[in-house]
Amino acid sequence: MESSALNRYATGILPLTVLSVLLLATLLMMNAATQNSALFGNVYSLLLIINITGVVLLIGLIVLNVHNLLQQFRARVMGSRLTLRLLIMLSTLTLVPVVIVFVFSLHALNRGIDSWFDVKIEQAMDDALILGRTAFDAMKQELVKTSQDMAVELEGTSDRLALTTLGYLREQHTISELTLFTQDGLIIASSSQEGPEAQSLLPARPGKAILSQIRQGLTYANLDPVGESELQLRVVVPVYSQNVGAPMRILQVLKHLPPRFTKLGESVQSAFAEYEKLLYLRGPLKFGFTLTLSLVALLALLIAISGAIFGARKLMAPIRDLAEGTAAVAQGDYSKQLPVSSRDEFGILVDSFNTMTREINRAQNDLKHSQAETELQRTYLETVLGHLSSGVLSLDANSQLRTHNIVVEQILGTHLSSIENQPITALTDRKAELSTFVDAIVGHIEKNQNEWLEEITLSRRSGIRTLILRGTRIPGSGKEGEGYVIVVDDVTALIQAQREAAWGEVARRLAHEIKNPLTPIQLSAERLRHKLLNQLTDSERDVLDRSTRTIVDQVEALKTMVNAFSDYARPSQVHAKSINLNTLIQDVVELYKSSSRIKSLTTTLDLGDAMPAIMLDSGRIRQVLHNLLRNAVDATQDTPTPKLSISTRMVKILENDFIELKVEDNGPGFPAELMGRLFDPYVTGKEKGTGLGLAIVKKIVDEHHGTIWAENMQSGGARIIIRLPVDGPKVATTETDVHDDMRNQEQGT
Amino acid sequence: MDSIMRCSKKVSALYTVLFVISLLPLTATAEFSVTQLTPVIKDQSLLLNGELDLGLSEKTEEALSKGIPLEVIIELQLYRKRPFIWDQLVQEWEFRHKIRYHALSGQYLVKGHAKEPDKTESFTSLQQALAYMGTLEDLELSLKQELPKSEAEFNVLLRASLAIEPLPVALRPVAYTSPSWHLNSGWTTWKVQR
Repeated sequence: MESSALNRYATGILPLTVLSVLLLATLLMMNAATQNSALFGNVYSLLLIINITGVVLLIGLIVLNVHNLLQQFRARVMGSRLTLRLLIMLSTLTLVPVVIVFVFSLHALNRGIDSWFDVKIEQAMDDALILGRTAFDAMKQELVKTSQDMAVELEGTSDRLALTTLGYLREQHTISELTLFTQDGLIIASSSQEGPEAQSLLPARPGKAILSQIRQGLTYANLDPVGESELQLRVVVPVYSQNVGAPMRILQVLKHLPPRFTKLGESVQSAFAEYEKLLYLRGPLKFGFTLTLSLVALLALLIAISGAIFGARKLMAPIRDLAEGTAAVAQGDYSKQLPVSSRDEFGILVDSFNTMTREINRAQNDLKHSQAETELQRTYLETVLGHLSSGVLSLDANSQLRTHNIVVEQILGTHLSSIENQPITALTDRKAELSTFVDAIVGHIEKNQNEWLEEITLSRRSGIRTLILRGTRIPGSGKEGEGYVIVVDDVTALIQAQREAAWGEVARRLAHEIKNPLTPIQLSAERLRHKLLNQLTDSERDVLDRSTRTIVDQVEALKTMVNAFSDYARPSQVHAKSINLNTLIQDVVELYKSSSRIKSLTTTLDLGDAMPAIMLDSGRIRQVLHNLLRNAVDATQDTPTPKLSISTRMVKILENDFIELKVEDNGPGFPAELMGRLFDPYVTGKEKGTGLGLAIVKKIVDEHHGTIWAENMQSGGARIIIRLPVDGPKVATTETDVHDDMRNQEQGT
Repeated sequence: MDSIMRCSKKVSALYTVLFVISLLPLTATAEFSVTQLTPVIKDQSLLLNGELDLGLSEKTEEALSKGIPLEVIIELQLYRKRPFIWDQLVQEWEFRHKIRYHALSGQYLVKGHAKEPDKTESFTSLQQALAYMGTLEDLELSLKQELPKSEAEFNVLLRASLAIEPLPVALRPVAYTSPSWHLNSGWTTWKVQR
């Protein structure tokens, strides 16, 4: 995070601007220093170092910027390609004029500096110097001659009288200072024209080299600069003694030149020195100016490149933003808004882009809102349809299944999701027994009926189902939106209830209308037999006896039958107690096993573990088991190895627990024509049956809020399935129930 | 972060190159040398006798002959030796000898000798002038603080160098970049006698 911030700062405009301004300032100062400005001359080296360092830093910053740009280019960052191209173009445009100006300036500078120096002037300066030297040499030679004369005069002068002689000689020859030294350089005597106000009381002493020269017998004569602007002639000569063996002495003669000569001499000296210096500095001066000019050119170039970098970036920013924005829109991000940084054409473009994305975004939001609304309505519709007691399915104009609810799946006993968007006829391929259903729908659609109603019967293994289909055309524009909605009602239970109610009425009437005359009939028959039996002949008596006995037996049989109907028609009176179904089953089966009728029957019990006790009327359930077992025994009478299987298990249907009881035999199974009416009264496949056994079983199961259905197994034999709720009355026939039912049917178990 | 590291490495390399370039003149062979020095501490003053060999390069001689004044700096430092830790700087001195060529008289003028700072001496030859500048004869330097009379040992460090900053502005870039102008004896250490 910090490094990226540092990088951003380093590549920002501020460091470059500050550095550029600083470098320009130091360059100006350096330029002033090159021109011998006293103000900046002392810090010239520092300015030079600052400039070179600054230029290096500036180059570093530019390199960093270009490096970043190249990285963006390699990473294919939007706009980097154009920025780089613009930068190269601007840099080239800058480089060419700067190089041209630099080359010409350098040439002009060199020629300008060279033009300062003229051979004639140089010669004149040399001549002037030689002239001056010649003039002073003449004076010097004259003074040498005078000095030698004075030395001769001093040869006979003792050290003691030397001062007087020196003073005399100095005044005689207008000498500034006369000093007599021993050969070791010690002062013997000195005479000077300067008074006590002189800066130094001691006379000027010749140097060791001069003394050494004199000791060798030579003469020293030269022009000496005194201070900054004075000249004097110095002549040193040996003074030999007239006395043999006396040591040599040394005379130094100093003569200040007249002010006019001094002034002229210094003028020539300084002019010559300055010119020589300038001549010598020509090379370094060119170097200095070239350096300054190079720095100026380099700085101008670098500042221009920096400007080009930021100019290109600034110019490209809205284009890059636009490109990024367009890419975002292409990827579906319509909320993209770009910053409007200027009021020029780019600004207008960006503003238009923003308006466009805003409008698209709004339209998109409206669309999403609309979709959500539609989805909500669809969910609402599905919820409503899902909770209808009727099955609903809709078809499009091509008879393809569009929507359906769960109830229609329960009614048809199959899933419909897999054939969505397929023609409804595909249902027949999945389940052939639904062909009646499909044919009815297709027939009405082909007839192009707007509304239709039809009752159909479906033969399923679990029995015959009666369905009422109501179709309605859905209007639409052309084929789009057009279709049919079909409402399916399973009225099997309704019809069954109606049938049961009818049979109840029949049973009640039978009980009422038939039972009453039976007793008088029986009594009359017995009275006839009692009165006439002793009065008839043997043959007649036998006839009467057989007839009256038949009447009495048949009346008795009728009474039994009427009582059975009466029981069936009687309102339910359930006295429920908490009992374990398994225990009840075991009791009933034990009783049956002791019966001689079923000794040959192989009974298998598969009772589930941990079965809870549920609220049951033990007498009524015992009757259910009795009826079912008797039916099984009757059904397997002609079977070589009769088998009976009773099983119980717990099943969970929609969070509700049920105890399932299955009674299976290996008899011939239920006749197919009776499958739809098995639980109706007076429906029986047995010769002597009353037809009330299964009807009573169903009645009792209904009284316990259970469900019952019968089916034929694929392996042969009949199966009765009863489900009783564990926690009181529940509807056992639900979606899972249907699926379970379907699975069982498919497995044929 | 990587880009910064890479960039900083590049900048470091650049600085190293610049530093090496800046060192090049300094490592050139110095033609100044201290031949001999005898420092003696006597009565709260430092008495020096010695000789410096101030040999000018061809370029500097040429510049001098063309009227460019040269300035030789003689730096002196008196250190008190201390065991285990660094030596203690007691006092330091700096003398600036200015030499210039007087074309009219053909003499070399030397000003600012340590012994007589305000006096200008003239010499007919450059060798004489340089010998004069390099001669330290009975140079007595007063000490600001009283030195302990214990067994403490002292060292004198001496260095002679050609000053570049006093040169004309135009000549400085050349002087800074040319080894011919970098005349420096380097620091030499001399034990002080008491």
